[in-house]
Amino acid sequence: MHFFLLTAVCLGGVFWLIAQGSTILPSACNEYAHKAELAATWCLGKTASASNPLRRSIATYLHAAGIQAGYSFFAPNVPSHHQLTLALFYDDGRVEYETPHVRSKAAALRLDSLLDKLPEQRYESVREALVKMLVLSVWREHPDVKKVRATFEAVHLPSATEFEQGKGETLEPMFSFDFSLRKEKQE
Amino acid sequence: MSSLTSCAEGNLKLNPLHRAWQHFVSFLFPSDSDTWLTVLRIGLGLQVTLYALFLRSDWHYLFASSGKGLVAREVGEAITSFESPLIPKFGWLIAAGRALNISEETVLTVAWVGLLSAGFLLLLGFLSRPAAIVAWFVHLCASESGGLLAYGADNFMTTALFYLMLSPLPDRYSFDHWVAKTKLKNPKTLGFWRRVLQVHLCFVYFIGGLAKSLGSGWWDGSNLWRSLIRPPFNLVSPELLVQFKYVLPLVGISICLLEVRYPLFIWLKRTRWIWLGCVLVMHAAIGLMMGLYLFALIMIVMNIAAFGVPSASSGAEMVSGPHQR
Repeated sequence: MHFFLLTAVCLGGVFWLIAQGSTILPSACNEYAHKAELAATWCLGKTASASNPLRRSIATYLHAAGIQAGYSFFAPNVPSHHQLTLALFYDDGRVEYETPHVRSKAAALRLDSLLDKLPEQRYESVREALVKMLVLSVWREHPDVKKVRATFEAVHLPSATEFEQGKGETLEPMFSFDFSLRKEKQE
Repeated sequence: MSSLTSCAEGNLKLNPLHRAWQHFVSFLFPSDSDTWLTVLRIGLGLQVTLYALFLRSDWHYLFASSGKGLVAREVGEAITSFESPLIPKFGWLIAAGRALNISEETVLTVAWVGLLSAGFLLLLGFLSRPAAIVAWFVHLCASESGGLLAYGADNFMTTALFYLMLSPLPDRYSFDHWVAKTKLKNPKTLGFWRRVLQVHLCFVYFIGGLAKSLGSGWWDGSNLWRSLIRPPFNLVSPELLVQFKYVLPLVGISICLLEVRYPLFIWLKRTRWIWLGCVLVMHAAIGLMMGLYLFALIMIVMNIAAFGVPSASSGAEMVSGPHQR
């Protein structure tokens, strides 16, 4: 049973990658991969209602054994890096730029992992709340700031040849939020 | 007479199935010593200790509730609870602490101390199983409560601690065995749990290799380049790396082939040490060149425990002494 579940998780992950069209396989495979992914999802009980005891039992076991996610790290291709830049606006007109930060390198890896998850569709509903919390973590260190503009960008890295030609990374703004003490507005 | 003939034919038909079943059972339950378990215990003790020490300065900041930390612990816990409310999380411990008038900060400190202590105890092999259970539970709480901040190393740690917790501890090199003279375990049970770890690693590498092989970037070296210059993994300067740009496709393809063929070549006696050596070098390189020290260590520990220790059936020493059945 353990390895059956592991197989379903792993294959589900691979089929998802194919269904997204992000692999070198022809696009004709995408539809079949989507069906296969649904079959794997069904095996894991994810098509049942959220309160279904079987679904909950399987999910609990998968998390307890650390096998809830597949092993397609950096696959099929290395994803873009993301960064969150905070523009801190003071009353006297000053503007300072900051990023959310932690003390240790080990925690910094985790913060980067969080930033790379933010653009994912499944976190769309909590995205603004998460950005707000990251802003708040910086705001606590700068209590006299009146407004913060949080800009989330994808960082596109140059290829080896482009790097040799002197090209650097390019930034692609994805979304931004304005936060103030009294009101919040999404741009 | 005719019934006797059909009976004999039936036995002949069953024999291949019976033999296959016997092979399967002997594959699942080989006799083994507990040396691999010692490697796994000490390796995970080191892993858990380093995990706790690396996060000591940010522990409260990462797992504090709303308004006190980086992101509220409650968000990660809500996402986890949506999957199943039965998955362990720090929220349980904090709620229990609140009932006893213990602050959230104190509960988190106790959890950190508990994790560090469990790591030390595993290193020594003292109270091996309780230490493995505590390490698994606290680490799982940290992974789930900080689920948004988790990455690959956390899943592997959970899996390895899960297997260690269920394995027939204590091993003969542990303090438990030395002090309490605990009985050594059934070699077949030891062999079974090692098989589980071995088969699991085959899944890990095959799926990892297969998924990489489906990306064009692993065939032309661009993915390797991107992974090495991508913050925060950019420990090697791009100026140095670009001098080896013609080697990158070869290394990228080698990684795909190494991973996807792992389930085959790691079992063959002739290729086992070559494959294991290459995989260990790959993980050491990931650790040193990308700064993923905990990820590298857990993979090295799991590989050495699974395939790096000669098994009893291949001529290594057998477990001696009385067996607990």
